[in-house]
Amino acid sequence: MVTTYRSLALRGLAAGGIAGAASALVQLLVTEVSIRAALAVEEARESDGHAHSHGEEELVSRGTQVIGGMLGVVVVGVAVGLVFATAYALSKRWFTDRTPFSRSLALGAAVFGAVALLPWLKYPGNPPAVGDPETVNQRTALYLGVVVAGLVIVWGASLLAERLRALSQPVRVTAVLLAVAAAVTVVLLAFPAQPDTIPADMPVDVLWRFRLSSLAQLATLHIGLGVVFGLLVDPATRRSKAATVTA
Amino acid sequence: MTSPAASLSPVSVPRWAFAASLLGLIVTYLVLQENGLALGAGSELLHEFFHDGRHALGVPCH
Repeated sequence: MVTTYRSLALRGLAAGGIAGAASALVQLLVTEVSIRAALAVEEARESDGHAHSHGEEELVSRGTQVIGGMLGVVVVGVAVGLVFATAYALSKRWFTDRTPFSRSLALGAAVFGAVALLPWLKYPGNPPAVGDPETVNQRTALYLGVVVAGLVIVWGASLLAERLRALSQPVRVTAVLLAVAAAVTVVLLAFPAQPDTIPADMPVDVLWRFRLSSLAQLATLHIGLGVVFGLLVDPATRRSKAATVTA
Repeated sequence: MTSPAASLSPVSVPRWAFAASLLGLIVTYLVLQENGLALGAGSELLHEFFHDGRHALGVPCH
């Protein structure tokens, strides 16, 4: 039985590392394919003469960037795992009638929705050779704004579910889902459109394959974190055999 | 089956937990966002090193 914050935090770090490694593997096998295709577009552009003057003499080689990118995903996984464990320890109204595994999985899915899916819907990520360096700070601010809005929606949904406790479960779930749908719609409409336009020389299939790979990686990271953390904290994971015998 | 009510034992969250979580957010920021604001000159190397990961996780990039 996991009863101290310290043991939860250690499990969060471990689960984050495992989910991050899984996400890094998706990156190596899937996302890198479209990153390579996008870099080819960038190179073609540079050899065409109208220098998209990044002025970047290579600080880091391509091979190092592939490794570094994977390492970065693992590091982010570990860091998010720690924050996740803290959120799990603090949550007092998050599916309180469920098992630790279900709570962890639900929390992972909610975090995925708030910090990955919602920003992806509004400002889908772009491969190299798309972003305009001039607008990067504006784009970052908008992106973080949507992330914060997503977290507020998740927090509000759990608060609303608690307030509506008197209602029957089907009615309560429907009411919370409608409220979340309305809030998501407001966020998607209220935030301005992406400031950049997609360059004409970027093939649509490269762009969208990259975006879907990116979403797959984010899902692997966040939902994977919820699954692995749930396995590590739920005493039923190891007791399943004994439970079957005694049942 | 474990009884769900029993499995939700309250965990007391110490104060250092918030510092640890803040550290987690700072690390995430350094990997995904560092554009020179926090580290100045060293940041460009960090930025290029984590380049692919930042793109892959859908964070805005140059």
